[in-house]
Amino acid sequence: MALLEVTNLTKRFGGLVANDDVTMSVNEGEIVGLIGPNGAGKTTLFNSIAGVYNPEQGKILFRGEDITRYNPEQACQAGIARTFQIVRVFKGMTVLDNVMVGSYLRSQSDADARERALEVLKFTGLYPKKDYLASALTIADKKRLEMARALATRPTLLMLDEAMAGLNPTECQAAVDCIRAISREGITILMVEHVMEVIMPISDRIVVLNSGKKIAEGEPKAVSADPEVIKAYLGGKYVARS
Amino acid sequence: MLPVAAAVIALAYPKVFSLPYPQHVGVLICMNALMAVAWNITGGYTGQVALGNTVFFGIGAYTSSLLLRDFGVNPWIGMLAGTILSMIAAVVLGYTTFRLRGYYFTIACIAMAEIVSAIVVNTRRLGGAVGVTIPIRDASLLNFQFHGTNKAPYYYTILTFLAVALFVVYRVERSKLGYYFRAIREDEDGARALGVNPARYKLIAFMLSALFTSVAGTFYAQYVMFIDPASVLAQPVSVSMCLMAVLGGLGTLWGPVLGAMALIGISEATRVTLGGTGQAVDLMIYGLLVIVFAVFQPTGLMGMLGKLKARKE
Ligand SMILES: Nc1ncnc2c1ncn2[C@@H]1O[C@H](COP(=O)(O)OP(=O)(O)OP(=O)(O)O)[C@@H](O)[C@H]1O
Ligand SMILES: [Mg+2]
Repeated sequence: MALLEVTNLTKRFGGLVANDDVTMSVNEGEIVGLIGPNGAGKTTLFNSIAGVYNPEQGKILFRGEDITRYNPEQACQAGIARTFQIVRVFKGMTVLDNVMVGSYLRSQSDADARERALEVLKFTGLYPKKDYLASALTIADKKRLEMARALATRPTLLMLDEAMAGLNPTECQAAVDCIRAISREGITILMVEHVMEVIMPISDRIVVLNSGKKIAEGEPKAVSADPEVIKAYLGGKYVARS
Repeated sequence: MLPVAAAVIALAYPKVFSLPYPQHVGVLICMNALMAVAWNITGGYTGQVALGNTVFFGIGAYTSSLLLRDFGVNPWIGMLAGTILSMIAAVVLGYTTFRLRGYYFTIACIAMAEIVSAIVVNTRRLGGAVGVTIPIRDASLLNFQFHGTNKAPYYYTILTFLAVALFVVYRVERSKLGYYFRAIREDEDGARALGVNPARYKLIAFMLSALFTSVAGTFYAQYVMFIDPASVLAQPVSVSMCLMAVLGGLGTLWGPVLGAMALIGISEATRVTLGGTGQAVDLMIYGLLVIVFAVFQPTGLMGMLGKLKARKE
């Protein structure tokens, strides 16, 4: 049984079908990339899994547990942590305090929470900036902080929504290294990313959404050669000529 | 160092100023500081602008006073009963309003306070619009009554309550509660994604706030010996707690105390210099101060002190 199983998930916003009968799964220990053009429904799928939205149809199983109707805090307590496409760090709090909020979820004492937070800060390389106000960080560091904060909750599954968007190549490489290190810790990763050069080499498997529907799933190589995928990304012209 | 100095000054104050008036001002500052510290838990730390805390002040005042007047119950026990009732009221108010965000929550609080006030005004059993006079007992700590011109016993009583409240907030600030409160203020959705249940923690904050406000209410009744809806169940009571916390520094331990000192200072100074007609002037100065602070110094007096300290170093 897969760690995360999404079956026939449909989420509508009024007349708009943002996720249309999506079925996908993530296995324990995998890095799965979720791609698709703008407005494909990637963030919506994240939000349904993380408990932000209640889908109209379908089912979400996490470690065999039905989490379809969970709210965000229940999803997090069950072991799903996420970052946001548009960063939501606690701007008026320090970097350390941001991470402390995450680490309190599974800590018995204040000292425990602090120790866990410092550990995560060292792991993510944010330790030297631990006393900065979150609002003073660069966009790359804010995204890093969201990752650290999520990690502090000791998740089984980490969902990253465009963790690399807006980063320069150096920062991007650092983020990739960080994600690889997280994966090595045994944490399963589901990530949305637009930069193909980034997502293809890092992912074990790719899921492609287009206009709310899943159009492809499989190994990166196979997916990038899939005519449906090429058509979705480049438009019909390219396929017609080939 | 600073807290020690503050404690010494606070303890020595009624010894240095033995006249009734300065002692009365000291009592007013401590009582208002207690209310502002309580308000700051919801309004400052969790960022929920609750403008109905007069309900808890009124429940505290009315519970102990009615129990004493009608059943001869000791005011300390009345105070305890008041805090329990206030916390229950906080749960009811919280459950019904916390799903509302921002302004809607604030408006619901105001409405709630108006409803409670209207109920009391229209219930003869509760003293109606006339109010309740607290029966006189022998002066003793046990009876929570001290007569004569020496207000020092009242002063030390309220100072103790304030110290307890500050200690509790100090501990909360450094614990899971404090972190969760601030996370909710900063970004409720972000906090939820980290496993924080905002409804639960807002409720805890509101209950703590209600508890201390209620204690201040009982104290007020025992100090003034007369309560009516206009003095303990009125919108200005809710607003002044908020103003003191904002002026002093939202979400800081000492901010509400500084704010209370500043506002009571202004209010008493205008009353003394302008006499009875000075009442509106202090409100005008409050209003002006709040505007000036909102525009130029949103972090309040505490923020100002922080800047001064940083400049020195
Ligand atoms: N809360 C909402 N209310 C109404 N419509 C929404 C809402 N959220 C998303 N949508 C719509 O649903 C569709 C899918 O949006 P979603 O944000 O999931 O796309 P995405 O794949 O994450 O895109 P992007 O790459 O731009 O982030 C879009 O058409 C979007 O406008
Ligand atoms: Mg998106």
